[in-house]
This record gives sequence, structure tokens and C-alpha cells, in this order.
Amino acid sequence: MGALTKPIILLVVIYLLLKFVVPNVPGSAPLPSSLIFLYLMLTMAGIVIYYTMSGESKDAFWGPIQRFLTGENIGALQTARYGVLILFPLLVGWQTYGSTAVSDAPPAENRTIHPAPPGEYTGLSNPVSKTPENIMQGKGFYAAFCSPCHGGNFDGKGPAARGFNPPPANFSDPTTIAMLQESYLFWRIKKGGVGLPIEGMPWKSAMPRWEVELPDEWIWKIILGEYDGAHQSPRTWE
Amino acid sequence: MRQRRAIRAVAGATFVVLLAASLPGWAQESVAVRAMMTKEPIPLDDPNAAAWTSAPQAQFPLSPQVHWQNRIQEVTVKDVKVRALNDGQRVAVLLEYTDPTEDPADAAALEFMVGDKKAHFAHGQPMAQVQGGPVNIWFWRNKDGKGVDMSAMGFGTLKAQTHQDVTAKGAYANGTWKVVFSRAMATEHPDEDMQLKPGEFINIAFAVWDGRKDGAGDLVEKGSQKAVSSWWYFRAEAPPDYSGYIYAALATGVALAFQFVLIRKLRKGHSA
Repeated sequence: MGALTKPIILLVVIYLLLKFVVPNVPGSAPLPSSLIFLYLMLTMAGIVIYYTMSGESKDAFWGPIQRFLTGENIGALQTARYGVLILFPLLVGWQTYGSTAVSDAPPAENRTIHPAPPGEYTGLSNPVSKTPENIMQGKGFYAAFCSPCHGGNFDGKGPAARGFNPPPANFSDPTTIAMLQESYLFWRIKKGGVGLPIEGMPWKSAMPRWEVELPDEWIWKIILGEYDGAHQSPRTWE
Repeated sequence: MRQRRAIRAVAGATFVVLLAASLPGWAQESVAVRAMMTKEPIPLDDPNAAAWTSAPQAQFPLSPQVHWQNRIQEVTVKDVKVRALNDGQRVAVLLEYTDPTEDPADAAALEFMVGDKKAHFAHGQPMAQVQGGPVNIWFWRNKDGKGVDMSAMGFGTLKAQTHQDVTAKGAYANGTWKVVFSRAMATEHPDEDMQLKPGEFINIAFAVWDGRKDGAGDLVEKGSQKAVSSWWYFRAEAPPDYSGYIYAALATGVALAFQFVLIRKLRKGHSA
């Protein structure tokens, strides 16, 4: 095996790992390309340090690179050499354009979908008991006040939803009410979009401030109806 | 030996391609109105002028206003199509939407955030944990035949400004309204009016009222009972900037020169 084969295989394997394997590890997420690039650069630096530790390995590592670059006795690789010599400056130019050209994209928005509630809304327990009558009443209130946006099927696809950005929450999605406590929902329904902290971008939310129109008891009943209708359970303290 | 080298070359080329693919990609197109720069006179009072076709069309969905009472469950107009132009001094925005009937009370409005403070899209409603700013609203109604420059900071605070800077003109044909709003890009009232600087994104929202009446002769859509959009972006495009290409050409030249010097030096080292 030539001295260059191993490093190249190593870089390709690490790239494939970061790009396709890591995102599929449970609890992980796709890595941003800038991070992958950074890891590959670190690997490359490690390889160079490793091969320059002894004079022998250094020659074995740099020798083929030097021969390739100077084009001496490389035969059929001459075409690849010209390719690299043309591609490299173009890549540098492309990267420079990407980082200096005036951005055409609107400002990036990092909105926190479920920001922390104010202290007084953590750990409240639902004062309304979970009886079939209360759930049914809650579903009735939901149909009247919530379903126009959050949908009759609790899927966030109500007839009034289409124009709103961010879209109304989809309660049947396991990442919404299933991972929240009842007291969190009480806060969000009572104080509405305008009650969000700055990281929740309250200026964009269409959610009404229901405390102006509904008594607390109705809100607690709506919460019962929502969980039941969306086939989810509230998160509790284990 | 030769075969081994060929394998190396293929592996190397694969790596370059994979590396290039992992580099940060191109900016994504997002939901914004782009007011294209033009040297021609802007058709301020002609919604049907040919010049409008030179501006790209953006489309935004509308919802019934549900945030505040009196809300409404259903509205006539479901989308607005928007084009815009600027000549460096003035900006004009063309709204286009489908409305089956022409009514005197048909109306449309643009809303902008003013200054650096964020404002809630529902007339700058007060926010519990964020100090909000005012909104600037440009309002047009068919029977008035003009634009009204307004300010609001919360429902119930909407009022016409003492200085009126906005023009508006509507044209109805074939079930479609086309309404042109225009104003100077900058005004002398930055506390009340949105200010437009070329190349800068600002926030914009839309509202439409279908002025039809119900069986009892009452307006169905009026006041807060209207079709609304969320906040989107608006930008007056600056004259084209080619500096990115110049820098790229320079960088390519430097990289070429680097290669040239490097190979020369390597060759000298070999023969020595």
C-alpha cells in the first residue's frame, strides 16, 4: 500500500461516518457542513503530523505528492495532475466568492419553539379532574376556539392555519404536547403568542391571549380535551 | 505500480468531490419581496404597466385574523401576489389578489415594522416579555381612491398620521384587484414611518378586506375582521455589486501563482 492510500481512505471513511452514520445515531442530528469540514481538516493535520515524525515516513508521504505535482515520471496520471492544477485555483475562487459576495438571503431566524415558561407556570397540576364529562366539555371548547387553526384532527391543519408563520402546533406530533407538561400548555393558552419570551419570537405568533376571553377552568378542560383528542399524554416528573 | 496510482487518483478525486459537497452551500431563496432597482420611471399610478413584469413575483398565504377579537373564521382572499420596484428614491409595491366582486369597501393594506424594535404583526400588540415598537400601515380603500399613511401600537390605537406620504391606486378587472402603493424610500419621520435602505431586509405583512355585504346589508369583513399574513421580508435591491467576482478572480490568480512557484521550487529541489 502506498503511503498516500491510507490517509485518503481514512479521510473518506471519516467523512462518510460524519455525514451518514452520526446523524442516524439515536438522539443525534445531521452535522452542519462547516463542522464536518473542520473535523476533516483536523484529521488532515493529524495525518501530516504523523507522517512527518520520522525522516523515512516523511519521504514516503511527501515523495508521491512531490512527484505528482512536478509531473515527473507519472505517466497516465498527467491528466489527473492537470485536473488538480486547474481545479484547485477554481475552488479557491469559488470559496472566495461564496464568502465575500453580498448575501441575498433574508436574516437567519433561530426561533425556539418551546421556550422556558415563567416560574409561576411550572409544575401546576390540572385542578380539573379527568372525567369523561370534563374531557368532552374540553373537546367542545377546543372545537369552538382552537380547531380553526390547530385543526379538528389536532394536526395543526385547521382552515385558518395556512397564512401563519410559524404554523400552528400539531398536537399529534410527539414533539409538541407529548413532551410538555399540562402547566406549560396552561401558560401558552392563557398568555398566547404575545406572552412568549424573546427567543420564541412573540411578534410572529398568531396565538390569541385567551385569558382575555376564557376562564381558567375552561383552559384546563381544553388541555384535557387536547391530550385525549391527540392521543397523547402530558409529560410528568418521573 | 501504474494501477495503484490510478486507484490513488480516483480516490483523490472522490475526496475532492466529497469535500466540495460538504462545504457551506449557496444561500437559499426564502420568502421575501424584492423591490428591483430600475432606471425607468416607476409606474406609481398604473397597476397594469408593463414595467411590473420586470420585478419578480412573490406570493404569500393569508389567514383570517384570529389573534384578537373581533376575529373572523373565514375570508375571501386566500393569497396575495406581490411585486415591487425602486429607483433609489421611491419605492412602489404592487399587490394582486383574486376577489370575485368589486365593492366600494374593498380594501388592502401593507404593514411594516418601524425602527429597530420588533412589533407584533397584529397592529403591534403589546408583548409580555419583549418591549415592542410601532407599526407603519399603508391603507387603501376602493371608494377612497387614495393611500392613507397610518401608525399603530396595539389594537385600538390605529390612527392616520399627521403627515401623509403614501399614494395608492387600485384597478379591478376580471375578478382581480391590482393595487399599487408608493412612497419615498426615506422620510423625515423615522419614529413613525418605515425607512428603506437599499440592500437591507425589513419586515412586511399584508391585510385584505373583501367589501362584500351579507344578506342584512352589513359588511362581512371590516376592521379586525380581515385576511392577514404573518411577517415576511422586504428588501429594496441595491444596484448590482460585482465585487464578489473581482475578489474571486484575485483569489484564483493568487492560487495559480502559488502553484506555479511551488512546482518550480519542487523541480529545482529535485534536480539539485
